[in-house]
Amino acid sequence: MIASTQIASAKPVHGKVSEPVDPVFRQVRDLVYKVSGIFQLEEKLYLLVDGCERRMKQLAVRSPREYWDLLTAHSSRDAELRQLLNELTIGETCLFRSQPQIDALRKVILPEIVAEKSKQIIKRLRIWSAGCSTGEESYTLAMNMLEESNGLLKGWTVEILATDLNDRSVETAKAGIYGDYALRSTTDYFKRKYFSPLDEKKLQVRPEVKKLVTFSRLNLQDDSKMLFMKGMDLVFCCNVLIYFDGPSKSKVIDHFFNNLNFGGYFFLGTSESLMKLNDKFHLVHFPGAIGYWKPSLKSGKL
Amino acid sequence: MIASNEAKIRERVQQIETTPSIPGVFLPLLELLSVPAEDARVDEVVRLVSYDNTIAAQCLRVASSPLFGLAQAPKSIAGAVITLGLRRVETILLTCCMGQAFPAKKWVLDTGIFWRHSLGCAMVCRKFSEKLPSIDGEQAYMAGLLHDLGFVVNCMAFPKEFAPALELACREQIPLDQAEQASMGFTHCETGRALAEKWHLAKDMIEVIAHHHAPEESSAAQPLVALVHLSDLLCRVRSLGYGYYERQRVDLVHDPAWGILLKQYRELEGVDLVRFTFELDEAVGEICEMVSMVFGAAAVRT
Repeated sequence: MIASTQIASAKPVHGKVSEPVDPVFRQVRDLVYKVSGIFQLEEKLYLLVDGCERRMKQLAVRSPREYWDLLTAHSSRDAELRQLLNELTIGETCLFRSQPQIDALRKVILPEIVAEKSKQIIKRLRIWSAGCSTGEESYTLAMNMLEESNGLLKGWTVEILATDLNDRSVETAKAGIYGDYALRSTTDYFKRKYFSPLDEKKLQVRPEVKKLVTFSRLNLQDDSKMLFMKGMDLVFCCNVLIYFDGPSKSKVIDHFFNNLNFGGYFFLGTSESLMKLNDKFHLVHFPGAIGYWKPSLKSGKL
Repeated sequence: MIASNEAKIRERVQQIETTPSIPGVFLPLLELLSVPAEDARVDEVVRLVSYDNTIAAQCLRVASSPLFGLAQAPKSIAGAVITLGLRRVETILLTCCMGQAFPAKKWVLDTGIFWRHSLGCAMVCRKFSEKLPSIDGEQAYMAGLLHDLGFVVNCMAFPKEFAPALELACREQIPLDQAEQASMGFTHCETGRALAEKWHLAKDMIEVIAHHHAPEESSAAQPLVALVHLSDLLCRVRSLGYGYYERQRVDLVHDPAWGILLKQYRELEGVDLVRFTFELDEAVGEICEMVSMVFGAAAVRT
């Protein structure tokens, strides 16, 4: 076989042979996928190994096997898995985190939605950034929509609702101040056009970008509030559902589905899977990106 | 297809013979590859490799690469074959043979891109076939590798017609077969079929080459054709396409090809397509590396 996951244990990094990975870590990878839907690619397995090793050090656990016991023993598994997921997703957020997702949005999805809604009197696009953390994704969406404002979205109103459970994150998001690390994938073009320098190290999102985004606190498990998030064309929920148990995850996804317009799309993080928790969404592939589609009425596929 | 096109294609394919002929090992190799892995004969492969100096050198070179992380590079053909594994050797052989048969300077398509797509598709076909008992993995692999044979014919026999079609596809970001149809009036499916018939390839292989864009039109081996169709689509949305952005949304589960397979294989319902996609991503690096290694030398020889 040309490529398989089995041969990768002695995969070299930059021409150097790396240490073979303890098979227990691959078991951890599968467990993490089963429970959270996060898949750690073989080439990024070292991130998972690093995360596990940090946790092992903190817990003074000596062997991967012993750590595996902690992850699976009834008394400790939920808490430990949560800690490990924190390690795995730490520092993941940045602006322009997934260019293929942005491309799919601008090149495939927007033309489709604009065509579909062209006969409506009010031309309005509603996007929900659910679990927006400190605002990186929300502003990325806003800037890209502004890029389309003289083209596809000419004459359209764009509303981006950004919600998070954490008050402090919401406050940080509203300020819209970012350093090099968060801006590591942002091109100079976007930096110049949509940010103002705050000091030597930080940039702040300009008011015209902020104007598109409304930040607020929301608990995704608050059913009564979730009912009010209607009429969305797009929902983004990145690395949030990984912390939920099966039944709550299922319920939140149902809310997302119901809150989406027909023909709308739902996106997770780039290495995250919905794991068949909802069979009404259609799994769809775009170049380099995976999304979930709520079939339009005329497609007859609902 | 219009009758005059058919005659034109047949005539031009006949003329391909005037270009450098296929290496002697090519057709025996195709035959050797059509058997299941456990029946494949290593000594026979070693013999075939030794038959052609350039190919032998190629195998040794790939086997010595850091990709396999060996402390010492293999010194013999047999050593190289064992290091690489039978399937890799077969792939290298086939790729070299095709490279030899069709001079690199005549390619309209980038050869590296073409082989990345073909090898990627071959790999996905085999991986898919693991989920579908009664579809032979090796046959599926071969089908994936050869499905786009028509592009080779286009480059050799219709370079003037094919170049604008490729240009149209890149410019409009539309599928290449659509651009061929619009610009030439026929596609690589028809040209590939003509060469496959001339080479007397197996009936199933001809069906794949002729109908992989519309499996419902194939009269034999429909599941195999459907399998190649889906694998081809998946490769094109996972950085193993034709080297340009295709504005498309692929819904594998609601594709007619999926329906064809599902009729025979209920197992398909249990396939986790997202994980399947992530696992394909893991293989992309290795596929690209293989192709650049094989083609580094193939380009020199022509």
